Amino acid sequence: MISQLFILSSKGDRLVYRNFRGDGGDDVTDAFYRAVTSLPGDRAPVFMAREGRHFVHVRHGGLYVGVTTTADTSPFVLVEFLNRLVTLLREHCGTLSEKSVSVNVALVHELLGEMVDFGYIQTTATEVLRSATHGEPETTKAFSLLDLRSVGLFGAETQQSKVAPGSITNRPVLPPRGEQPARSELFVDVVERLTVVIAANGTPLKVDVQGEIRLKSFVPGGCELRMGLTEELSVGTEEQRGYGRLPLAAVAFHSSVDLEEFEQERVLRVTPGPGEVTLMRYQLAEDVPVPLPFRLLPSVEWDPAGRLRIHLKLRCDLPPKQGDPTLCPPSPPSSHAINVVLQLPLPREASSLAQELSSPEQTAELQGGGRCLRWAIPRCQGGAQLGAVFRVQLPPTPPLGLGPAALTFELPALTVSGLRLRCLRLSAPPGAPPAPPQRWVRHLTHSDSYVVRL
Amino acid sequence: MTDSKYFTTTKKGEIFELKAELNSDKKEKKKEAVKKVIASMTVGKDVSALFPDVVNCMQTDNLELKKLVYLYLMNYAKSQPDMAIMAVNTFVKDCEDPNPLIRALAVRTMGCIRVDKITEYLCEPLRKCLKDEDPYVRKTAAVCVAKLHDINAQLVEDQGFLDTLKDLISDSNPMVVANAVAALSEIAESHPSSNLLDLNPQSINKLLTALNECTEWGQIFILDCLANYMPKDDREAQSICERVTPRLSHANSAVVLSAVKVLMKFMEMLSKDLDYYGTLLKKLAPPLVTLLSAEPELQYVALRNINLIVQKRPEILKHEMKVFFVKYNDPIYVKLEKLDIMIRLASQANIAQVLAELKEYATEVDVDFVRKAVRAIGRCAIKVEQSAERCVSTLLDLIQTKVNYVVQEAIVVIKDIFRKYPNKYESVIATLCENLDSLDEPEARAAMIWIVGEYAERIDNADELLESFLEGFHDESTQVQLQLLTAIVKLFLKKPTETQELVQQVLSLATQDSDNPDLRDRGYIYWRLLSTDPVAAKEVVLAEKPLISEETDLIEPTLLDELICYIGTLASVYHKPPSAFVEGSRGVVHKSLPPRTGSSESAESPEAAPSAGQAAEQPAVIPAQGDLLGDLLNLDLGPPVSGPPLAASSVQMGAVDLLGGGLDSLMGDESEGLRSDVGGSPAMGGSGFTAPGPAAPAAMGAPLGSGLGDLFDLTGGVGTLSGSYVAPKTVWLPAMKAKGLEISGTFSRQVGSISMDLVLTNKALQVMSDFAIQFNRNSFGLAPAAPLQVHAPLAPNQSVEISLPLNTVGSVMKMDPLNNLQVAVKNNIDVFYFSTLYPLHILFVEDGKMERQMFLATWKDIPNENEAQFQIKDCSLNADAVSSKLQGSNIFTIAKRNVEGQDMLYQSLKLTNGIWVLAELRIQPSNPSFTLSLKCRAPEVSQYVYQAYDAILKN
Repeated sequence: MISQLFILSSKGDRLVYRNFRGDGGDDVTDAFYRAVTSLPGDRAPVFMAREGRHFVHVRHGGLYVGVTTTADTSPFVLVEFLNRLVTLLREHCGTLSEKSVSVNVALVHELLGEMVDFGYIQTTATEVLRSATHGEPETTKAFSLLDLRSVGLFGAETQQSKVAPGSITNRPVLPPRGEQPARSELFVDVVERLTVVIAANGTPLKVDVQGEIRLKSFVPGGCELRMGLTEELSVGTEEQRGYGRLPLAAVAFHSSVDLEEFEQERVLRVTPGPGEVTLMRYQLAEDVPVPLPFRLLPSVEWDPAGRLRIHLKLRCDLPPKQGDPTLCPPSPPSSHAINVVLQLPLPREASSLAQELSSPEQTAELQGGGRCLRWAIPRCQGGAQLGAVFRVQLPPTPPLGLGPAALTFELPALTVSGLRLRCLRLSAPPGAPPAPPQRWVRHLTHSDSYVVRL
Repeated sequence: MTDSKYFTTTKKGEIFELKAELNSDKKEKKKEAVKKVIASMTVGKDVSALFPDVVNCMQTDNLELKKLVYLYLMNYAKSQPDMAIMAVNTFVKDCEDPNPLIRALAVRTMGCIRVDKITEYLCEPLRKCLKDEDPYVRKTAAVCVAKLHDINAQLVEDQGFLDTLKDLISDSNPMVVANAVAALSEIAESHPSSNLLDLNPQSINKLLTALNECTEWGQIFILDCLANYMPKDDREAQSICERVTPRLSHANSAVVLSAVKVLMKFMEMLSKDLDYYGTLLKKLAPPLVTLLSAEPELQYVALRNINLIVQKRPEILKHEMKVFFVKYNDPIYVKLEKLDIMIRLASQANIAQVLAELKEYATEVDVDFVRKAVRAIGRCAIKVEQSAERCVSTLLDLIQTKVNYVVQEAIVVIKDIFRKYPNKYESVIATLCENLDSLDEPEARAAMIWIVGEYAERIDNADELLESFLEGFHDESTQVQLQLLTAIVKLFLKKPTETQELVQQVLSLATQDSDNPDLRDRGYIYWRLLSTDPVAAKEVVLAEKPLISEETDLIEPTLLDELICYIGTLASVYHKPPSAFVEGSRGVVHKSLPPRTGSSESAESPEAAPSAGQAAEQPAVIPAQGDLLGDLLNLDLGPPVSGPPLAASSVQMGAVDLLGGGLDSLMGDESEGLRSDVGGSPAMGGSGFTAPGPAAPAAMGAPLGSGLGDLFDLTGGVGTLSGSYVAPKTVWLPAMKAKGLEISGTFSRQVGSISMDLVLTNKALQVMSDFAIQFNRNSFGLAPAAPLQVHAPLAPNQSVEISLPLNTVGSVMKMDPLNNLQVAVKNNIDVFYFSTLYPLHILFVEDGKMERQMFLATWKDIPNENEAQFQIKDCSLNADAVSSKLQGSNIFTIAKRNVEGQDMLYQSLKLTNGIWVLAELRIQPSNPSFTLSLKCRAPEVSQYVYQAYDAILKN
């Protein structure tokens, strides 16, 4: 049960405050802000207990969105709710910022009144809220495709851009009442996260792929969406799943997804309302070999005086060409990785670094007071091999050993599992607008944790 | 429209301005004004002065405006209760509005106005709304009952709202059901005894139906309520489980965890033989694994829950070890929690994999994590016996890295491994000792000291090692000081001859120079133990320690069962029951798992036995060494209060028997020793707390060569001239151990006086001089009767024979073995210690012949359990020869009988301390084995008397 709910600006000003159960003073926000700011580090823990209250908060757009509870409530409920609240606020106010919240404060109150009653969460469904609220969203500024700040996939917090117009997703989902939507659009993201540990001898110790399909719709309700997935998909444990090329160990669907055709056709049917939903979460079975995107071939030479020569060869094993152009949408002609960063912890604090890199756009530097070597590669083509030589000066004590090296990267337009959207059809309800909605499908893989032991 | 229009400061003028706008005729203007008021209110400005004006706007058909006004009312009604009454009429009217949204809004808002007068008016509208035709109104009304109950519980009961609420559980709309369940659950919490949530199979069925249809949040209410239900048998439990299982694949992790909670609870009732049980186990793993893909904070919550689940039912996740491998970018709290779970899941099957991971972690950068990883290796060793050897070698590898904190942690865990597998991995001690200097953390130092003390007999230079720690004794932390004290006492008990000074030093440091009561008390206890009864000290200090087991870090089973009932809640994160942290918790209901039903309990396969059961059978927590001593304090070993009992407490060697035998000499010796004790520490004696003062150890390890022999006069018995048997000389102190001084010797008794016949040989290259000798306290008070007289300096390769007269008036302390004598010899080079066993017959006094009548009476008088029988083998003497041979060593034959061809000799002897020993020796002419029966009031001497018999007869 939620006792109080608040949204604070980054400076601790109260933007929204509701006391649902009439217990506790109104000074909780001050107590919370004091607690948050008195902690070292820039990220306070999600759960905090202060002055007999349990605070749970998330941070978005510089705002603190938090609740308090005194009862023994499920932390999952609270965090899920806060995340949902943030999504809803985005849908109703466009971006989430101090400005947009304070302008729409009446609407936010109205929403909260419907969402929570006496601390019991009632609903977080966009459609339901839509019918129960009457306030109109006020937008804070005109949309600009040139506004690069708001570029980004809504599904994953990455810097990937250029694939689809990003800022378009940062507007209220709900068109002003009584107006035809300016443009009906539909975004589907297939985002995969890759967790890999590669042993020193090059064999993968652990390969874990988690993915999700997200849908953000600006289409008025009533249209049925049919989404065809890769047909080789199979689900279940080893005994259950048969011979599919793309075995998934665990799948979870949103409750609105109709799975009637899933078994046979691998088609998800959903009738989306305006708003954002995660349609499907899945995990690739562990016993399936996944082509790993990167290999690292290091060679290290020690010198008793503490000089260390590290020669790193990074091979990008992405296929030079991927996919079938007949797919919808067609695969890009070649695959590549972007924003590749390799971090290599050093055994002792290094005092100096000399580097030989293969191209000027790459950079290398020491971080963490010399305890870590960071090599950044903005873009790496599939099939390419990059080399770099680093010379590091360390204190002349016997070293403990290097590594492990950690890689972060993004693979645009590619899913490592091979799961793709085969087709995306929207059947219009009777009397639908003549123009079919614009559909955007985006695939992306990013590294959650990609570790190469040395 | 400017962004800041709602956020202007509320000066008098602005309030006035708002007032005017609120009273405007234009609807739009009114609405904007109310919005401004709400904005001011939200940021915490006082706009209560506008109350009447805002309430005036209440009667509007604009829903948006109405909501804003209601919001204002909720906020200020409490501070302006009289004015709030003005609004009641509108509320009541709105509750009858044709628009269900308005009806619901009115009833919702009224419940939030916590003013008694208003709640009175609420009852009627609420009653109507609970039966409203629109589900939206009903669900709002259901929550309103909970609100009203919070304000005025009595009113709710009197008005019969609870019954109406119960009826709503059977409502056709799932959202109404969910809210009714939520409200009832909350109300039931404050009435633990009431039967509010009287769930029966029918209502459960309705809940399960509603579960499939309501929103995700409603599903959580229903699942949490289901978890409190107690199915009547395993079949019902199974059918509920079957209907809850689909929730496991819900996208909302809160729903998943609530479903897990229900399943974990009801599984308790299912028989493990059921196929369904196995199916359910398999279904639980994937959703738990999926929870780990959430953001780190939720991962942490999930891991805390999984930690509980794994302890309760390890079989669920036993194949999912890899999921818990640490990612380099996990936050530290996630990493530590994962490590914990990895160890809980570690088994023989996956231990190699786990160890390889842990070894990798031990080389990471984060110090806290590395430490925990090293500890984890130790815990693996303790948990999985087959892996112990591998773990130890991994730890040794890590020690070789010489990274300071890694080495220290490794030593701490190796100590634990020693406690689990004693006498198995001592070969690594040498490696550990190499790193002694790098230990700077108290825990590691204490662990290392413990190891040295525990294995003192295998570490040649244990005394040096411990002595090196002793130098900075007062700068050490208490942990180290305590451990050092114990270790040195252990060392002393194992190598008494060489470490007297050390033990004396540490005892005085602990008792005199320390302010820490723990340390002081422990010091006194050891001191008393050592000075009164070294055998007991040995038994206590060197007692066999119970083995530690990995169960020590498990959650206690009853708590675990309770926490399982709170899966998914804050309690499962804190691992504490809610009563421990929910402030002002309402009537706390103690939740517990359902009892297992079904008859197949006994047929459970052993490997599937619930871990809780196993944990219960295990010995609970191992007492630390401190606890052991704590227990001792509660025993009657505590110091006596006054003088005379002091003496009694010192006589531990079969004191009762000895005193019964009228042993004046022993008493005499004893009290003399004690007098010096008390005299040496008047302060302590006077205070009633008669802990041994510093004089006591001084007597046992005082500086040598101080002419101690002068203290005592020669007191020999007066008896016949007789040459008692003298054993050949043996080497007591090899030259290697004494920097070139070799001592060999034997004991003899002649003409009533005991002497120690020594040969000192100088095998060093330098001249030795200034010899002196001293004995430690011993069982019979043997002490040198004169100083050790070596007249000329002993040149290299020269020997000197000395006969050192002894008496038996020294301090008495029971030794083990009884005839053990610890000797210190000093010369100009050093002090050397050795111990030797003296044959008991040197203590047989010349007047040991008992009167026949006396013998018979005494023989009968001594209880039979004091009789000991021994066989003397391979002795070909006849009865007369035996008799005369024994007589030479003061064993007197009192009578001889021939029974059925056997000779029976009845003999008596008396020890220097007055103990009589009666003997019956049976000799069969054809048999070289004699049977010796000994009767004595102090039966512990019998064995040594037998040894004396044996030695005398065979030479």
